[in-house]
Amino acid sequence: MSAEYTCLVVEDSPMMRQLLVFALSRVKNLKVTEADDGVDGLRKLAGNKFDLILTDINMPIMDGLKLVKRVRSDPMHKETPIIIITTEGSTEDRQRALQLGANAYITKPIQAPQVIAKVKELLKMSG
Amino acid sequence: MAPPAVKKPQKTKPEPPKRKSERPRAASATSDRARMETFVQQFFHKGAQLTEELLQENEHLRKAHLQLESENAALRTQLASDHAMRDLLRKIKQLEKEKDELLSHVHEAEMQSTRFGARFHEMEEELSKLANVYVASYQLHSTLNLQSVVKHLKELLQQLVGAQHYGVFMADPSRKHLLLVAGEGIDERKLARISLGADDPVSPFAERVFLTGVARITEGPLGHASERAPAAVLPMHFDDRVVGVIVIHTVFPQKPSFGAVDFELFKMLGAHAASALAGALLYAAADTKLPDATKLSSARQTPVPS
Repeated sequence: MSAEYTCLVVEDSPMMRQLLVFALSRVKNLKVTEADDGVDGLRKLAGNKFDLILTDINMPIMDGLKLVKRVRSDPMHKETPIIIITTEGSTEDRQRALQLGANAYITKPIQAPQVIAKVKELLKMSG
Repeated sequence: MAPPAVKKPQKTKPEPPKRKSERPRAASATSDRARMETFVQQFFHKGAQLTEELLQENEHLRKAHLQLESENAALRTQLASDHAMRDLLRKIKQLEKEKDELLSHVHEAEMQSTRFGARFHEMEEELSKLANVYVASYQLHSTLNLQSVVKHLKELLQQLVGAQHYGVFMADPSRKHLLLVAGEGIDERKLARISLGADDPVSPFAERVFLTGVARITEGPLGHASERAPAAVLPMHFDDRVVGVIVIHTVFPQKPSFGAVDFELFKMLGAHAASALAGALLYAAADTKLPDATKLSSARQTPVPS
């Protein structure tokens, strides 16, 4: 049996979240958990190990940058790959997230094949 | 048969010594003997020479024989080698044929793989397109709350289409004005209310699309889109009636042009945005009360207008 991967999607927009979940459902053996914002994301990360985190940057309560910082300071998730999703060409946010320890970024509007390719790349999945 | 008779040699008396008068005859005999000896010597010399020549000839022939044998052996080897070569050539030809067949199979498999790859890519794109439209439509109709509908509409335009500056306009009951109901990056002083039929229309494209019901979508690069030349203007239909327009002035820089998925989203927006907004408005007007179920029940009996 193939190994099962786990992924946490942190996105406040239900539309984007649904779209991301749909795209990720195309990746074999990937179990997706959803979180509404950064705080909800942290709640789901507490005590649970994920193979990958996808997070939006602009979110209420706790934005993606703070979430990346928190995740990287937690020994349990220190090495977990993080993909950030940014709107427009927000270069500063992107740079900041990468400095904080994010591994890759995707810009909106997202394309499912692009998301799938990036996830597979970070999970080192073939095909 | 009797053997031939042998003639018996007759006995002769020895000749007496010759006298002085017989001396020339003796000298002649000596000379004959010398000649005889010379002849014999020459004879033996010639014989020896001939023998020598014969020996040499023999040696020469022996060498020639050896050489011929060697050549013969070489020819035999070459012949055997020729056979082996012929076999090898036959084998090579066979292998070449097999290789060609295999290459042909590989080529065919590659072509098939390319076809499958292209088909897979097309299907993935189609699936992505359907997912976008499904999610957009699902979200748009997932609530009757006016704020939520507007929020979803804005999200859809921003995050799925990539609209940066845009406005959603609904016609007022008199159909003389288009009123801004949602937007981002819009000059509200100028575009909050667009009068239709003015001599110098504020937004000529919005007016034209509202009056004709035909969308105006920029095909190709969107880098030069602006308020004066919007990237897209879409009519919002309510049944067959145009009740408003969506004007996308500019898109985000990372979006170079509209793709197939955008055209599908535009179609969906044209058909669903107005009904979602109208439904939410009616719901708000009814103080968020759901319609009386008895009315819905009686509507079941009413024929659908053609």
